[in-house]
Amino acid sequence: MAKLTLDNVTKVFTEDDGNEIVAVDDVNIDIDDGEFLVLVGPSGCGKSTTLRMIAGLETVTSGEISLGGERINEKPPAERDIAMVFQSYALYPHMTVRENMSFGLEESTDMPDDEIASHVEETAEMMGIGELLDRKPADLSGGQQQRVALGRAIVRDPEAFLMDEPLSNLDAKLRATMRTELQRLQAELGVATVYVTHDQTEAMTMGDRIAILDDGVLQQVGTPLECYHTPRNQFVAGFIGEPSMNFFEMDVRDGRLVGDRFEYELTPAQRDAVGDADRATLGVRPEDISVDTEGGGSHAYDVFVDVVEPRGDENTTHLTFDPGVEEPETFTATISGLRHIQAGEAVVATLPPESVHLFDAETGTALHNRSLETAEVTEQLT
Amino acid sequence: MHNPLTILRRRLRGRDARTDGGATEDGESFLSRESVRSAPFWLPPALLIGVFVYGAIGWNVLLSLTDFTGLGTPDYGSLDFENYVVAFQGGTPSWSELTVDPIWNSLQNTVVLVVGFAAVCLVLGLLLAILVDQEIRFENTFRTIYLLPMSLSFVVTAKFWLYMYNPQTGLINIALGAFGFGPVEIVQNPDLKLAAIAFALVWQFSGYAMVVYLAGLRAIPDSHFEAARVDGASTVKMYWRVIIPQLRTATVSALVVLTVFALKAFDFLFSMYGYQPGPSADILATRMVREAYSNGNWAYGSAIAVVLFLMALAIVSPYIYSQYKRGAL
Amino acid sequence: MSFGTSTDEETETGTGYPLRRVVLYITLVAMGAFYLIPIETGVMTSLTSPGSYTGQFPYLPPLEPLLSGTGEFSLQPWQTAVDLLGQGLVNSVILVVPATILSGLLGSMAAYGLTTVSWRGQIAIYITFVAGIFIPYQAVLVPLTQFWYNVVPLRTAFQPVAYWVPFIQNYHWKLVALIVTHTAYGLPICTLLFRAHYKKLSDEMIEAARLDGASIYRIYRRIILPLSVPMFAVVFIYQFTQIWNDLLFALTIVQFGDASVVTQELVGLGVSQSGTNFPLRMAGALVAALPTLLVYVLFGEKFAKGVAA
Repeated sequence: MAKLTLDNVTKVFTEDDGNEIVAVDDVNIDIDDGEFLVLVGPSGCGKSTTLRMIAGLETVTSGEISLGGERINEKPPAERDIAMVFQSYALYPHMTVRENMSFGLEESTDMPDDEIASHVEETAEMMGIGELLDRKPADLSGGQQQRVALGRAIVRDPEAFLMDEPLSNLDAKLRATMRTELQRLQAELGVATVYVTHDQTEAMTMGDRIAILDDGVLQQVGTPLECYHTPRNQFVAGFIGEPSMNFFEMDVRDGRLVGDRFEYELTPAQRDAVGDADRATLGVRPEDISVDTEGGGSHAYDVFVDVVEPRGDENTTHLTFDPGVEEPETFTATISGLRHIQAGEAVVATLPPESVHLFDAETGTALHNRSLETAEVTEQLT
Repeated sequence: MHNPLTILRRRLRGRDARTDGGATEDGESFLSRESVRSAPFWLPPALLIGVFVYGAIGWNVLLSLTDFTGLGTPDYGSLDFENYVVAFQGGTPSWSELTVDPIWNSLQNTVVLVVGFAAVCLVLGLLLAILVDQEIRFENTFRTIYLLPMSLSFVVTAKFWLYMYNPQTGLINIALGAFGFGPVEIVQNPDLKLAAIAFALVWQFSGYAMVVYLAGLRAIPDSHFEAARVDGASTVKMYWRVIIPQLRTATVSALVVLTVFALKAFDFLFSMYGYQPGPSADILATRMVREAYSNGNWAYGSAIAVVLFLMALAIVSPYIYSQYKRGAL
Repeated sequence: MSFGTSTDEETETGTGYPLRRVVLYITLVAMGAFYLIPIETGVMTSLTSPGSYTGQFPYLPPLEPLLSGTGEFSLQPWQTAVDLLGQGLVNSVILVVPATILSGLLGSMAAYGLTTVSWRGQIAIYITFVAGIFIPYQAVLVPLTQFWYNVVPLRTAFQPVAYWVPFIQNYHWKLVALIVTHTAYGLPICTLLFRAHYKKLSDEMIEAARLDGASIYRIYRRIILPLSVPMFAVVFIYQFTQIWNDLLFALTIVQFGDASVVTQELVGLGVSQSGTNFPLRMAGALVAALPTLLVYVLFGEKFAKGVAA
């Protein structure tokens, strides 16, 4: 029914002095009917611009956007049958909640007033704001306003939902509650949704699939776990995951990685993946590094603890090879929250070869991703 | 800079890179462009202004080049700068049998009045603003009182001050009498006229300067005042060296508005003196109206008006331009 | 902001208040007196009967026979003033109400089309509006007089209106001309004020309305207009004052006669062969000033905001 497609969509801004800025560069995404796609990336990566192009609030420089098979590039926003939730909620301050929610139906449909009223009331009940219908936005809390903004979008029964960082103005606890509620809502309504955020946690937990953008260029589209375990490049690997993946730039010599502080033996498969490159970046996630008070073997290194961040469920430890230095270079390892570890302690960190990723030192493309040989993991990804 | 060939090429191929959402899109028709769709809103006012303001100004310039003296319709066939020559040199123009005085006297009076009035207004306004800014009680009451004269018409102000300046019954002279000074003729006194006029106008408009400065003062963070105090500056020094330099924007904006007001001060002078304020108080505005409406020298009046307009333009254009550049428009 | 509270080094007067504050308040009050005195003497004089007026103590209320020389209390000057200015007052009202409403409404529409709806080149048009604020009216007087008297046949076109509509007279055509002129000349400042207001509205809210399907017109009617009410108050107060107080346009377009407005009538009031009738003059000035004074005192805050724009 309502599949949203972006084909080679590009957006170029021309400034007053003639400078051209490519905000979105040749982006291709398909969003299935009912799918929840999260557009994520750092500030300025072009995700909001992409969203606004879908909404019709920005013109498309080249490429095509289609909804339900029909090209919508030239259609004004009012005719696209798309509803949007803005970061600031954008509620009409002089209208009651009821009027806010009725406005879209009044302006873009021929629905009779009583039908509109019943629709609004149904949706308000669903959103849990039924008693607030006669209040004005100024009298509502942030969370309530957000529900009204959502309700206003939902009541229009659109072909697609667009959401521009709707949770970023809420406090942390409320944000967590709303995350799950939004997911449930979206699943219930079954409408294609494009959700923009800079928060990778939101992306990971909410999306059916996520699309990662950097500097206008699409880096990867896939399920959260795909992007997490099999990132296409170093940017995705570093962006997804908190605390982020550790990267070590090393030289390749005789089938092993050689760095300033340590050397790393590669498996035959890894050696193949690296090929005849001179340099490669070794990536390993903090949770894959095991930390022991003693031990040895290949891929085990003597390090010192610089800082420990206890989080309750886990301890994030920052480990370094040079304890005496002012500001040492560190890498991160996560260990169980029940273990006692102190700054200054000497420990042994093991980087298991089955967990490491390898990236091309120049382009950042992933050469080798971790093996996912446990049955559970493979199942999740298929 | 834009390469015209690139732009042309893009236009022909139907692509348009724009920064504003909702501007012309690929193949968008003329009628659905935002500028046209919003035209019912801005076009009627723009037309009104185009005709009544700019059309009138243009027509005025045209008239100033004719010999029109009010009989019949102006002869637009023979245009010359004669009126301007007479305006600056004096002489006998072709449309009159009498010699016509040049406008230097009025010009001088105008400049003196405008400069004097604006300067005093700014100083007084600044002092008042500083005082009112001192976290006083009844601040609103004081502000309302200081601004009260601005709500009055020039005519009313003129009546009040004619009364105040009256040699026998005016308060000024009564006060002087209390100190033993004889009654002084003010309103008809060539030496005091212009100053008296400026004084009355200051009375009316210093409240405006105060409001502008007050807003400016309040925009300066408290920390500036406190830092200066901690640094050991006396009150006067603090204001002089730290605060006043930061009020430049406020000063400029108030100055522009006050200057233009002063150029318009016609209403006040007419209410006091009718068509004849006398040579020591005759400003360009009164001269213009007298020439056109009392003497019937319409075209000459137009020429004087053009001079007045150019003066206002010279003051206002740099201001508007700088506001535009700063994006403050 | 300031250094309001007292410190240890302040010299204290006998009352316990620091000397500095006392001086401050004295200055403020003195300045207040400066601004009020001309009006106050006007009021006192206007309540004196012309026959008993001596002019010796203009600042004192007429309390004859308690205080000799102050004149007898009388409302006669006011009555005479209202009689003489009555027609002018009516004409001023006929002028001010439509002109204020029109310039405010059109200013709001112009600001909407040039600010909220965003398109290339609108700033150039806006600049032509803003420049209009600073035009000295002298620069357009002669053309305007020509326009209304010799070019546009308004006088003849208006006659049928005067014939059919009750209370409207033939000479009211001049007021129509004045209304149109004041509307055109009030537009720049009204547009500027509304534009400042509209710039502060949330862009996202307007975008939401567009996505909701509202056309440019509907956005104006259902969202912008209701949100403009506070600014309408400022604009109306400002325009009311400006138009009511204007003399120059009235002089040149209406000229003296039946259609004169109150400012014109005031110019000649109280001057006659027998000398100047000050009580009448002052009463007249106050009668003419009363509407704007009242509006200012009642709605002063909003007025101050509009003036500071």
